[in-house]
Amino acid sequence: MTRALLALALGLATLSGCKIVKNPEPGSQATDTATATPANDTERMGKMAAEIFSTRLVTYVSEKSIDLATLRGALAGGLETAGAAHGLRPQSEGSPWNFLVKGTGTVVGADTKARAAWLDLDTDGDGTGDARLQLGPVIKGTSLRDAADFLVFTDFRDQIEFAKLARALNDEAHKAITLPDADLTGKTYRFEGATTLRSATEALVLVPTQLAEVP
Amino acid sequence: MKLSRRLMMSAIGIAMTAAMPTFASAEGLIAILTPSHDNPFFKAEAVGAEARAKELGYETLVLVHDDDPNKQSELFDTAIASGAKAIILDNAGADATVAAVKRAKDAGIPSFLIDREIKESGVAVSQIVSNNYQGAQLGAEEFVKLMGETGKYAELLGREADTNAGIRSSGYHDIIDQYPDMEMVAQQSANWSQTEAYEKMETILQANPEIKGVISGNDTMAMGAWAALEAAGRTDVIVVGFDGSNDVRDSILKGGIKATVLQPAFRQAQLAVEQADQFLKTGSTGLEEKQLMDCVLINGDNAAKLETFALAD
Repeated sequence: MTRALLALALGLATLSGCKIVKNPEPGSQATDTATATPANDTERMGKMAAEIFSTRLVTYVSEKSIDLATLRGALAGGLETAGAAHGLRPQSEGSPWNFLVKGTGTVVGADTKARAAWLDLDTDGDGTGDARLQLGPVIKGTSLRDAADFLVFTDFRDQIEFAKLARALNDEAHKAITLPDADLTGKTYRFEGATTLRSATEALVLVPTQLAEVP
Repeated sequence: MKLSRRLMMSAIGIAMTAAMPTFASAEGLIAILTPSHDNPFFKAEAVGAEARAKELGYETLVLVHDDDPNKQSELFDTAIASGAKAIILDNAGADATVAAVKRAKDAGIPSFLIDREIKESGVAVSQIVSNNYQGAQLGAEEFVKLMGETGKYAELLGREADTNAGIRSSGYHDIIDQYPDMEMVAQQSANWSQTEAYEKMETILQANPEIKGVISGNDTMAMGAWAALEAAGRTDVIVVGFDGSNDVRDSILKGGIKATVLQPAFRQAQLAVEQADQFLKTGSTGLEEKQLMDCVLINGDNAAKLETFALAD
């Protein structure tokens, strides 16, 4: 009897020395195992996007991008043909084609003050703009996310996460751009980036992953 | 009470199983579960899925769960007991549905989800959903344009447990919040419901008579809001919805509601049945589990081409 009590007391004493560690919420460790408190969706996707952009996406675009002239030539044969040869798209029915492109062009127009700032480049030398680069901070669409074959919707909890990832990748693209606060007209820029096309004839609007002046 | 209900459910199950051989078709039975058909969106899903299933040689069992996870759970039991080969589902909650879909999977019945996701992958075979983020951004861009990039507005949100309510709102705000002169004066949930939206709109209007626009998470709430605005003689208020229903189409054509965003609901439901058929015959759909289908902006320019959640070419 006393022995049993003693054992119990000892047991309790041992127990009290234990620290109860709360199990983390599933999924909260996806991008970070160090923090104890689960971050919210925006924070987690922001962190993930920053990592993907710097360690993987910029290189990926460099390796996979085709010359804008090549895309233009392919589009002459229709969007489906161009897409099959050079594009990427999710498997779901009705998805638009995404392309990774690179090129060099002369600035023929720009609005660098707007929230959705842009730069129009003439890449074929005819004096008119044929590629618009979105500079942000407001960058529309999900081209960067959708042009990367390693970012797959099924791997994400839901559309909210997947959308926040796209938005955060756009934010990273914006952060990576540094332009002088001056009139850019006539300057030449080299770029790499992603675009989404729903028809062969629509204007090319790109999200750049790299943008540099060619002296 | 609970026991007798369960007994009755299993009695129905047994009766249905017993009846199976008499109505069994070549390919077997597909169960189609959606929220209430009171919302034409869900009716279009059920009609689209049923039509495609019959074309492919299946019998169908069409059931509604009224957005009640408990009822949905019972309907899963019914589908399982009825010997369904596959389940087409527009679910009653992203978290609550996981267990039911797992139960069907354990019973050897694959589920194909449409419209709404669940919060786990690898349980359902397909999850085909509208690209709500893309669609919401289209709607928001049109809303901002109609508002002239300035003014006070209200937002009607969908049911909180539904992922689509959150994703649409975040798509709206990723666009609208970039315009400093757009000011949100009220944001309330009307739970996707037309009557609730009517009441909420009345209250919002009383507190904020200077309101210039309303952006709504779906079309039924947009219809409710528009009815309240009409009753108050405020047809000057700009209303934008989401879904692409025939009701909102008619309102757009009459100059009432200004725009909506079409979800390809009819095609989505048919696609789910096609993938179920493919899976039952080959053991694989050959596609990723989660699939996004793009949405289309509907306004005065193309509303006339809209019919039952599909746009004519």
